Amino acid sequence: MTEKKTLFQKIWDEHVIVTSPQGEDLLYADFNFINEGQSFLAFDQLRIEGRESLRPQQHLAITDHYLPTKNRERGPAGIEDKEIRNVVEMLANNSTDFALPHINMNHPKQGIAHVVGPELGFSQPGMLITCNDSHTATHGAYGALAIPIGGSNQLRHVIATQTVWLHRPKTMRVLIDGTLPESVTAKDVILTIIGKTGIGGATGYAIEYAGTAISAMSMEARMTICNMSIEAGARIGMIAPDETTFKDLSNRLMVPKGADWDKAVAYWKTLPTDDGAVFDHEIRIDATEVAPMITWGTSPEDCAPIDGLVPDPASFADVERARHVKRALDYMNLKPKTRFVDIPIDRVFIGSCVNSRIEDLRSAAAVLKGRKSVVPGMVSPGSTDVKRQAEAEGLDQIFRDAGLDWRDSGCSMCNGSNGEIVAAGERCASTTNRNFEGRQGRNAMTHIMSPSMVAAAAVAGHLADIRHTFDTPSSFSASASAVRN
Amino acid sequence: MQPFTVLTATAVPLEIAKIDTGMILPGRFMRRHRRPGHDYSEAFLYDLRFDEKGHPRPEFSLNQPSYSKASIVVTGADFGCGSSREGAAYAVMDYGFRALVGPSFAEIFYGNCLQNGILPVVLPELTISEIWEQLRAKPGVELTIDLPDQVLIDADGRRHPFDINPLRKDRLIHGIDDIDVTLEHKEAIIDFETTRRKAFPWLPTSANI
Repeated sequence: MTEKKTLFQKIWDEHVIVTSPQGEDLLYADFNFINEGQSFLAFDQLRIEGRESLRPQQHLAITDHYLPTKNRERGPAGIEDKEIRNVVEMLANNSTDFALPHINMNHPKQGIAHVVGPELGFSQPGMLITCNDSHTATHGAYGALAIPIGGSNQLRHVIATQTVWLHRPKTMRVLIDGTLPESVTAKDVILTIIGKTGIGGATGYAIEYAGTAISAMSMEARMTICNMSIEAGARIGMIAPDETTFKDLSNRLMVPKGADWDKAVAYWKTLPTDDGAVFDHEIRIDATEVAPMITWGTSPEDCAPIDGLVPDPASFADVERARHVKRALDYMNLKPKTRFVDIPIDRVFIGSCVNSRIEDLRSAAAVLKGRKSVVPGMVSPGSTDVKRQAEAEGLDQIFRDAGLDWRDSGCSMCNGSNGEIVAAGERCASTTNRNFEGRQGRNAMTHIMSPSMVAAAAVAGHLADIRHTFDTPSSFSASASAVRN
Repeated sequence: MQPFTVLTATAVPLEIAKIDTGMILPGRFMRRHRRPGHDYSEAFLYDLRFDEKGHPRPEFSLNQPSYSKASIVVTGADFGCGSSREGAAYAVMDYGFRALVGPSFAEIFYGNCLQNGILPVVLPELTISEIWEQLRAKPGVELTIDLPDQVLIDADGRRHPFDINPLRKDRLIHGIDDIDVTLEHKEAIIDFETTRRKAFPWLPTSANI
């Protein structure tokens, strides 16, 4: 009998070149994505050391974090903020200097790396993919081993050697069986998981998401799940490739063609976890019990079903947790025992690498169709291709008619590094993945939720339960004319 | 990477605990290029060295002439805590320091220092206080850090042994960073990818993007 292996173990083992005496594995990176972030430090240091890229064509630089989502026509010259423009130009120059292909701001495929990579078919089962971004696990939805790396030392190492030294993590399986109730989405599932593990609960583990609820999910939904693995503490999150994966990949640009396609699919079918393989840890979630979720605090683990109340710090037995909750409620300006659905909002944001794909935009548009948002907000599609697709379907018009800004693609208001921030003291219902203090702007308050829940909140002007939005249309029409700008 | 063996140099006291990476390299400097002659030396501890108007704070140790040639910093506990920004180690290096001595260092920052030829030396809190006194009593006095022997010799000639991971010690003494170590396996890397490409010829490249 051969050894029973998990999906993770198969791909990890396939990529080990050597193991150091200290037990670190030298892993081969099939492909690496680079964003502008702090990557210029890696390039600067490589330049100082006189090093070059070993395999330039196994990298793709994608400008996403610092790009403003409007006025793209003039290129970098149109970016008002000098420092932001400088960061955008640095990645362009560094890509040229190191002969790395680059998707810059005016490229027809521009978008967020974790949306563009899968969209172009770069993210394939069995690959080891790296990127200097903590949400790299997104690509794991395709059955790839996708690992976030540090923006300077580790990125520099991958550029120079096409490899990365890592300790093998332990394995965890999150099993989600059953059918999700109506209006409950992948975002609600991953928030439920994070609520269960806590922000550090999966630290040191590679997660495999499995179960009938995962099998039933689209690739977009699977990416939403894998994306937020890091919010549970895991750098790696992945899902076994199946017919849904193959069907999605079959139309992509960079995937194998002809006889290679058949060989690839045959190989990909060998990757799923063997029956009887053992995980170091396992968590089970009953899909039928998952409800629409929102975050109320300043960490993604501070989440709960929408029909609940703001918790009372005094109700937590753990002293550290109670202290965190108290500080979080102070920051979020919330009183214990307030009904979540009574929390008013000032703004909405639909976008970011976790929820900006066409399916996300469709679900938000379905709620907003024929309705008005009573608060200002913006929609930033995950890529230029997603934008074009949404426009072909008329979704842009629905968002515009609702009073929201229809923007270009980028990381945008998820962390505001492009200058698009939530104002101090403003409360934002957001489809993003992080709600730490100051994440969307200094003293900005973030509530994370699914795209349809953000849309419902936009229409209501307060956090709202998507399950009841359509039942009570009259409660929205009264305030529908009060569109603020 | 510059090798580190035995360093005898002026040490400057930095009697503050929990100097985080945001103080070492303030966020507003993080979008700047690093090039020879235009590096992070200016940014290093900027808000401690200068007041709101940009005037040097004369009372701050780093601004005092007797410490101007220092290559060693003797600091308080938890130096390098906070964000994982790797530029913080560059700022230390660019300012001209080769060694940091303190009761404790944040883990990520500690690793980044070793990766860039800077030696962080951990000594007991009491020892640090005694060294601070020596540095204050005779400003400009030198310390010796002997990495092969893993010992710091203070201004009074007392020897303080310190710990360091043997692998990191070896790499620092020989001035080899992770990339150099990896490139010792270059043949294995090339063999690996040749085999891999043969088995999976369809793996994507970005050639036509």
